[in-house]
Amino acid sequence: MGTIHLFRKPQRSFFGKLFQEFRLVAADRRSWKILLFGVINLTCTGFLLMWCSSTNSIALTAYTYLTIFDLFSLITCLISYWVMMRKPNPVYSFGFERLEVLAVFASTVLAQLGALFILKESAERFLEQPEIHTGRLLVGTFVALSFNLFTMLSIRNKPFAYVSEAASTSWLQEHVADLSRSLCGIIPGLSSIFLPRMNPFVLIDLAGAFALCITYMLIEINNYFAVDTASAIAIALMTFGTMYPMSVYSGKVLLQTTPPHVIGQLDKLIREVSTLDGVLEVRNEHFWTLGFGSLAGSVHVRIRRDANEQMVLAHVTNRLYTLVSTLTVQIFKDDWIRPALLSGPVAANVLNFSDHHIIPMPSLKGTDDSNPVTSTPAKPSSPPPEFSFNTPGKHVSPVILLNTQTRPSGLGLNHGHTPYSSSLLNQGLGVPGIGATQGFRTGFTNMPSRYGTNNRIGQPKP
Amino acid sequence: MEEKYGGDVLAGPGGGGGLGPVDVPSARLTKYIVLLCLTKFLKAVGLFESYDLLKAVHIVQFIFILKLGTAFFMVLFQKPFSSGKSITKHQWIKIFKHAVAGCIISLLWFFGLTLCGPLRTLLLFEHSDIVVISLLSVLFTSSGGGPAKGGVLLLVLALCCKVGFHTASRKLSIDVGGAKRLQALSHLVSVLLLCPWVIVLSVTTESKVESWFSLIMPFTTVIFFVMILDFYVDSVCSVKMEVSKCARYGSFPIFISALLFGNFWTHPITDQLRAMNKAAHQESTEHVLSGGVVVSAVFFILSANILSSPSKRGQKGTLVGYSPEGTPLYNFMGDAFQHSSQSIPRFIKESLKQILEENDSRQIFYFLCLNLLFTFVELFYGVLTNSLGLISDGFHMLFDCSALVMGLFAALMSRWKATRIFSYGYGRIEILSGFINGLFLMVIAFFVFMESVARLIDPPELDTHMLTPVSVGGLIVNLIGICAFSHAHNHNHGASQGSCHSSDHSHSHHMHGHSDHGHGHSHGSAGRGMNANMRGVFLHVLADTLGSIGVIVSTVLIEQFGWFIADPLCSLFIAVLIFLSVVPLIKDACQVLLLRLPPEYEKELHVALEKIQKIEGLISYRDPHFWRHSASVVAGTVHIQVTSDVLEQRIVQQVTGILKDAGVNNLTIQVEKEAYFQHMSGLSTGFHDVLAMTKQMESMKYYKDGTYIM
Repeated sequence: MGTIHLFRKPQRSFFGKLFQEFRLVAADRRSWKILLFGVINLTCTGFLLMWCSSTNSIALTAYTYLTIFDLFSLITCLISYWVMMRKPNPVYSFGFERLEVLAVFASTVLAQLGALFILKESAERFLEQPEIHTGRLLVGTFVALSFNLFTMLSIRNKPFAYVSEAASTSWLQEHVADLSRSLCGIIPGLSSIFLPRMNPFVLIDLAGAFALCITYMLIEINNYFAVDTASAIAIALMTFGTMYPMSVYSGKVLLQTTPPHVIGQLDKLIREVSTLDGVLEVRNEHFWTLGFGSLAGSVHVRIRRDANEQMVLAHVTNRLYTLVSTLTVQIFKDDWIRPALLSGPVAANVLNFSDHHIIPMPSLKGTDDSNPVTSTPAKPSSPPPEFSFNTPGKHVSPVILLNTQTRPSGLGLNHGHTPYSSSLLNQGLGVPGIGATQGFRTGFTNMPSRYGTNNRIGQPKP
Repeated sequence: MEEKYGGDVLAGPGGGGGLGPVDVPSARLTKYIVLLCLTKFLKAVGLFESYDLLKAVHIVQFIFILKLGTAFFMVLFQKPFSSGKSITKHQWIKIFKHAVAGCIISLLWFFGLTLCGPLRTLLLFEHSDIVVISLLSVLFTSSGGGPAKGGVLLLVLALCCKVGFHTASRKLSIDVGGAKRLQALSHLVSVLLLCPWVIVLSVTTESKVESWFSLIMPFTTVIFFVMILDFYVDSVCSVKMEVSKCARYGSFPIFISALLFGNFWTHPITDQLRAMNKAAHQESTEHVLSGGVVVSAVFFILSANILSSPSKRGQKGTLVGYSPEGTPLYNFMGDAFQHSSQSIPRFIKESLKQILEENDSRQIFYFLCLNLLFTFVELFYGVLTNSLGLISDGFHMLFDCSALVMGLFAALMSRWKATRIFSYGYGRIEILSGFINGLFLMVIAFFVFMESVARLIDPPELDTHMLTPVSVGGLIVNLIGICAFSHAHNHNHGASQGSCHSSDHSHSHHMHGHSDHGHGHSHGSAGRGMNANMRGVFLHVLADTLGSIGVIVSTVLIEQFGWFIADPLCSLFIAVLIFLSVVPLIKDACQVLLLRLPPEYEKELHVALEKIQKIEGLISYRDPHFWRHSASVVAGTVHIQVTSDVLEQRIVQQVTGILKDAGVNNLTIQVEKEAYFQHMSGLSTGFHDVLAMTKQMESMKYYKDGTYIM
C-alpha cells in the first residue's frame, strides 16, 4: 500500500484540523442543537444495538440502521453549516458546496449498503430461522420511531429537505400517494393532510415501525418467527426505495450532469444566443450543478470573423447569466489570423435596443464618470464594412494585425449611457445593407423557431 | 410461403403500433374470430381426448404417432420437396435442431398433460407467445394452484421453452420458406428421430393397448384437432389479425371450453364425444373442478386479456426520442434494449462483446465469472451436504460479487458517448463507482469490526473442519484475481494512458480545431491510480483475500493451539487493514468529486498560471477553475482580462497552449476587455449584477493602473 504511505504525512495534522473546523462550526449556536441531537442519537443507537442483539431480531436491526442514517443526516446538516462559512480557496476553486452533495450521496449510499447487508443476513436466516425474543422489540421500535420523528421534524435539515423535494418520488411515496388519494376520495376533509407530498423519511420511519409492530404481534400470538426476517426484508426494500431516488439525484450532481429540469430553459437561452448577431455556432456546452441549485457552465461560441468579440461575449454572458451563475464563455473565430479588415460597425447592432431603452441605470453613472475612457468599440469614423465572410484569404500575409479598436477617448462619452445607445443606433442606421437585416433578426429573438434560425443548435453537440 | 411473406408485410405495420388507422373493420374479422374460437374449442376436445389416450399408450409412442400423422398430412398439403426453393445442407441442420427442440417440447408438454390433467394443461400451456412474452416482461409470476406441482413446473418450463422456440424458429422459417414448410419438414425429421426410440420401446415393453385398430379414430381426431387444424388456423388468423388480438380471442374460448370439459368430460352427455369408450363410468376424480382451479382459470382469462392488449411500449420509446433531452436518460437499460433489436440474446451478445473489448471490463468480467462459478459450486456443495456454513459463505460471496457487478457496469458505462445530460461523457461514473466501492468496503470493515468485537467479548466455539478447504479455494480464486488485477493495474495504466492520449487528442482537435499546436505530453505519470473503479475492485478482491488468509490462519491456530481468541483477533486485524487500505481510495475519489485542483497537476498548473501572467497584453486572470472530470479528462475554465489593444484569439491561443502543456485538455477561456464590462453594465438589468460588475470593473481599474504605470 504505497498510497497509505503518501497519506501519512498530512494525517498528523488531520485531526487537529478537524478539531479546528469543528470548533468553527460549534461556534454557531444553531449547531448546538444538532450536536445535542447527535449525542442523543448515539446513545439511542447504542441502546438499540444492544436490544437488537438481545432480541436477536433482524427487523429491529434494519430499523436501527435508519437511526444510524439519521446520525448521518445530522452530520450532513453540520457539514452544510460548515460549508456556508467556508470560502473557496485556490485548491477547491468552486468552494465546498459540493461537500453537501457528497455527504448526502454518501449517507444515502451507506443506508442502501446497510440494507443490502440486511438482505444478505436475512437470506441466511431463511435457511435457519433463529428464535426471536420479543421482550425489548416493541420498546426498541417505539424509542427508535419517536426519536426518528423527533429528529426529522425538529431539525431543519437543508440539504436533505432539498434533495427529498427535488428527487423523483420513491415508490413508497407513490404508493402512499395512491392510497391517500383514494382515501381522500371517500373523506374529502383529509386532503390537506394527505395530498401534499409526504416526507419520505417520515414515511419510511412510520412504515418500518408498522412492520415491526406486525412482527411483534405475530410472534407473540403464534411464534411465527419467520415474519421477523420477512419484515426485515421489507424494511430493507423500503430503505432502498426511499434512498435510491435521492442517491441518484445527488449522484447525478456529482457526475456533473445537466439537470433535466433546466434543459428546457437552457435550450431556450442557447437558441437565443445562437440568434444573436455575429454568432455562428454554439458548441461544447457543458452545464452542470455546482451544489444544490446553482448552475455552472462553460460554452464555446463561434462567431463571424467581423463580429466584435467583446460585444458578443457580453451579450452571451448576459443571456446565460440569468440561469448559470458560474459561467465561462470562450469566443472563437475561424481564420482569425487573417487581417481583420473590418471592425465594430456591423457588429455594433448586435444589441437589442429595447434592452437599453428600458433599463434605468442609476448606479452606472458613477462608474462611467470615474473612467471616462470606457466606450463601445463602435466608431463612427471607421470604414464601412466589407463583405468578407468566409472567403479564405490565403494570399494575405498573416502578420498584419490592424488594430481598429483604438481608444476613442476624445469622443466625449462620459455622460451616462444615453450616448452609448444612441451611438449604437446611429451605427445601426449607418450601415443599411447588412445592418437592417441583422437588426431584424435580433429583434425577434423571442420567437426564433418561426424563422428557422435555431436549427443550428437543435441537435446536441458531441 | 407467399402467404407467409405477405403475412409478414401485413403484420409489420399492424404490429408496429398505430402508425395510422390500419385496423381492419371488425366485420371482416368476425369470420376469422369465429374460426379461431371453433378451432380452440376443438383443440380442447383433442387435448382431453389425448389425455385419455395417454392412459393407454406410452407417451413416446403417442408422440411418435402424432408426429407421424402430422407429418404425413402436412407433407401432403405443403409438398415441401416439390415446391419452393431447395434447402441447403446448413438449413437442414437447422431444421434438425428445430425438430429436436420440438420433440423435447412436445414430450414435456404431454408428460405434463399426464401429470396434471387436461384442464390444467390447457390453462397453463395454451398461452400465445405474445401473452407469455409480455407476462415475462412484466415479471408477473402467476402460480397455478394445482395439486401436481411437478407437472405444473414441467408445463411452465415447457411453455417457456415453447415461446423461446417459436421466437427462435421465426428466422429459420423465413430462411426455409414459410412456417408451414418448416413445420412439415420438422415433423418429418422428428418422426425419423423418434422412430428408433419407439421401436426400442415397443420391443422392450409390452403394450397395454388391446387393439391399435380402435385407436385410429381417436388418434386422427387428436392429430387433426391439436396439431394440424390449430396450426393452420393460427397462422391464418395471425396473418389476418393483429397478433395481440389473435391471442386475446384465442385464449378466451380455449379456457372456457377447458373449464366446460373439465366439468362435463366424464358426464354421460359427452360420452358420444368420447371416441374411446371406457367400459364404465368409474367415479373418477381426475377431472374434478376445485374452486381454486376455477378461480385461477378466471384469472388466467383476465390476465391473458390484459397482457395481450396492445402494449404502448413502442410508442413510449419513440416519445422518449422526441423529448427535449434528446436521449432517454432515466433508464439506461431501457435505452440499451431499445438500441438492440428487441431480442434478448442479441442484447446479451452485444454487451458481452462490449465488455470483452476493453481490458478493464474484460478482467472484471472473467473474474466475476470465476467468482460466480466458485460461489455456485460452494452453494451446490453446501446444499448437497446440508452444511449451513458453506451456504452462508456462498451468500457472502454473492454479496461480494455485487461490488464486482457494479465495477463491471461502471467500466462498461464509462465508454458511452457523451449526451446532452452527460456533456463531458460518462467517464466520471468510474470515479463514482470507485467511491461507492470504497464505501462498501468501509461498511464491510465496520461490520467485521463489530462482529469481532462481539466475539472478543464472548468467543464462540467454532467448528473448523469445513472451513479450511473452502477458504483455501476462496484464497486461490482471489489470488488469481489479485494477479490479474494488479497486472491490469500497471499494464492498464500504460494502455489507458495511451488510449486516453489518443482520445484526448481527437477530442481537443475537435474542440479547438483552429488552434493547432503540439500537445504537451507532460502528464507522464499523472494517470497513476486514477482509475478509481479498478482500484475499488482491486481493493475488494484484496479484502477478500485477506479474509481467506485470516480464516486459514485462525483455523490453524485454533486447531493447533486451541486459541479460540485467534479468530476475532484475526478479523479485527483484517477489518483495520481493509479500512486503512480503503481510506486513500475514498480520499482521492472525494477530491475528484469535490472538483479539487488535481493534486498531480498542482505544480504544473501553478507554473502555467504564472506563465500566463507574463503574456504580453494580459492584465490579470480571475476564477481559475481546474478539476479532474474523469480519468482522461481534466477540465478547466479561466477568465482572462487583457488590455484592449490585443487580439483576443491570439491570447486564447497562447493560454490554451500553456494550459494544454500543463495537462488540461478541456478548456474554456473567456477573454475580457474593458469593453466587456462596459457592455455588461449596460446590459445587466438586476441591481446585484450591476454591483458585481462594478466590483469587477474596480478590480480591473486597479490592474489597469498597474499597466498604466508600466
